Amino acid sequence: MKPTENKRRRDFTRGALALLVGGAALSAARSRSPKLVWQIDPEQCSRCGRCATHCVLAPSAVKCFHSYSICGYCDLCGGYLRPDAKGRNTGAENQLCPTAAIKRTFIENPYYQYTIEEDLCVGCGICVEGCSVFGNGSMYLQVKHDLCVNCNECAIARACPSDAFKRIPASEAYLLKSDQEKRIG
Amino acid sequence: MFNYINESEVSGVGVIAAWGRTLNQRKTILIVVAPVVVLAGAGALWALSDWLGYDPAKGLSRSLPGMDGGPPESERNQADELNVDLAGELATYDGVPSSLPGSWPRFRGADFDNIHKGAAKLADHWPEDGPRVLWSVDLGEGHAAPAVLNGRVYLFDYDEAKRADALRCFSLDDGKEIWRRSYELPAKRNHGLSRTIPAVTEDCVLAMGPRCHVSCVDAETGAFRWGLDLQKDHGTTEPLWFTGQCPLIEDGKAILAPAGPDALLMAVDCATGEIVWKTPNPNGWKMSHSSIMPLTLHGERMFVYAAAGGMVGVSMEGKTLWEIPWNASVIAPSPVAVAGDRVFITAGYGSGSLLVQVDEEGDGYVAKELARHGPKDWLACEQQTPILLDGLLYGIMPKDAGALKQQFVCYDPASGELVWSSGKTQRFGLGPFFLADEKFYVLDDDGTLTMLAVSATGYEELARYRVLDGHDAWGPIALAGTRMLLRDSTRMICLEMGAL
Repeated sequence: MKPTENKRRRDFTRGALALLVGGAALSAARSRSPKLVWQIDPEQCSRCGRCATHCVLAPSAVKCFHSYSICGYCDLCGGYLRPDAKGRNTGAENQLCPTAAIKRTFIENPYYQYTIEEDLCVGCGICVEGCSVFGNGSMYLQVKHDLCVNCNECAIARACPSDAFKRIPASEAYLLKSDQEKRIG
Repeated sequence: MFNYINESEVSGVGVIAAWGRTLNQRKTILIVVAPVVVLAGAGALWALSDWLGYDPAKGLSRSLPGMDGGPPESERNQADELNVDLAGELATYDGVPSSLPGSWPRFRGADFDNIHKGAAKLADHWPEDGPRVLWSVDLGEGHAAPAVLNGRVYLFDYDEAKRADALRCFSLDDGKEIWRRSYELPAKRNHGLSRTIPAVTEDCVLAMGPRCHVSCVDAETGAFRWGLDLQKDHGTTEPLWFTGQCPLIEDGKAILAPAGPDALLMAVDCATGEIVWKTPNPNGWKMSHSSIMPLTLHGERMFVYAAAGGMVGVSMEGKTLWEIPWNASVIAPSPVAVAGDRVFITAGYGSGSLLVQVDEEGDGYVAKELARHGPKDWLACEQQTPILLDGLLYGIMPKDAGALKQQFVCYDPASGELVWSSGKTQRFGLGPFFLADEKFYVLDDDGTLTMLAVSATGYEELARYRVLDGHDAWGPIALAGTRMLLRDSTRMICLEMGAL
């Protein structure tokens, strides 16, 4: 065997070893790094409506969340009632939500509780806009991780005009609006 | 036995041609084809009837009024008859008034401009762990902010456990309570409860409760002097979400805006509780959340009030000097005088702003609308009143201001131009803001305090720290000496802001 052939063999072995060690290290590092998921920063969301139309799922994995600690439980609810509503009641003609996904329940005068029916919510954000403009902003959008398929490149994030979509650790997969709610969560 | 037709005959022409060759063949074709034709026809008829009879609304239910289980609208929001004993009761505690200097005696401070003019130097930067918290006090849910005089901190609170309005007096030193005067009042949380700032003089403290109850007590001891139920006594309509009107003391008189059928504004003697004068309310304007501001126009000091319905200028003796209609639905900010005998008023919820020119005419005044803007077009604020400094107006834009929403902005009222804004990454919710020692202090909804350099050219942030935990930190900021008082919805804190 010629010395040059020996050298080539050694180089090959070293290269293969380096590749093996590097690959193992990379794999270990990847397994240690936290899994990331997509989420909406409610402070940056501009309620443009693209969450409902750009998700690869139909209906969208984005749903309206409601913070009861922030809600004012108003009879005159900007998230439930159309701005030109003729009455403050459950009549379909008065409701802002295009899919009637918000349920209104009387508690005691003058308080009403509003709950989101997730199956009906399409993530359009119309109620979020209403609640933000004429309310406390207790309604906001979040990606539901039991629905989201966590695309590597989220189609909504690509279309989001306000950079509200963020990659966050799966261990804390929601950006809830109030500290109080975080403690409960 | 079957006779099969050739493949070449399996076509329309082929089948017809094949038809009639032999009787057997005909029979075979009929036996095979007839059931298929009958079944296909029946299937087609069934499909057609199903298609025609399809009810697209099947499975849907109608949403009709009354499905929330609530009472009819006609029975809601009926004013409940309250019989409140405004004298209530006085409780005393072991707090001791502070000897520290400085005061913040009412809403927007001593000069009604939200600018602190004390000589104390305030820190230009803060330690890594933020400004030092000297003391804190738990409060009932609300947005009421304190007034400070003679080492005492006065705050109008709501005691949720006892269901009572409570005017509380604390020591500026350590936040210990000195006395508390409270009266029972049924009130339900409606975006918080308390929301006004008392007015305090050496003589007395004047406070207005969320349901329009006015009380005047001794500033030192809390002894009760007199009280008024504006709804019951003067026909006031309680504004949506309770009242935010901060009362005013001027020359020993309480200046109030009941906006009832018999008086738009009125003055009450602080010593006796007697009504000194009333300004008529011919337009039937209603009480807003705005507060009466003493402004000087054409060299004359007058009371300016933005009611729900319009804005009015009233002389020190209660005579209407000028008025102008403005149909903003909810008005929380108060009027601001700008150069050229003009008055600027703004409101949230889509109202935007109104700039009014007040001119002398004959022996009186006339008000003319100079400009009216939507919230996306010019300076507008939803809750807080803009600050006028060196001819420029500073404020926080409302939620419906488009790209500028919730940004801290500077506008030039003379040119109408936006001078600068804080940018899309710096938004402050509905935050209160005020000016001291040539620095702006802005508190956002979540309790983050930001210190800005006063600049006519651009946004310059000096420091930022989250000083409060809670949400809805909407109560205006007060400063006495170097002690800054801030609150969120349930807690008040005192920060040491002196130069390091």
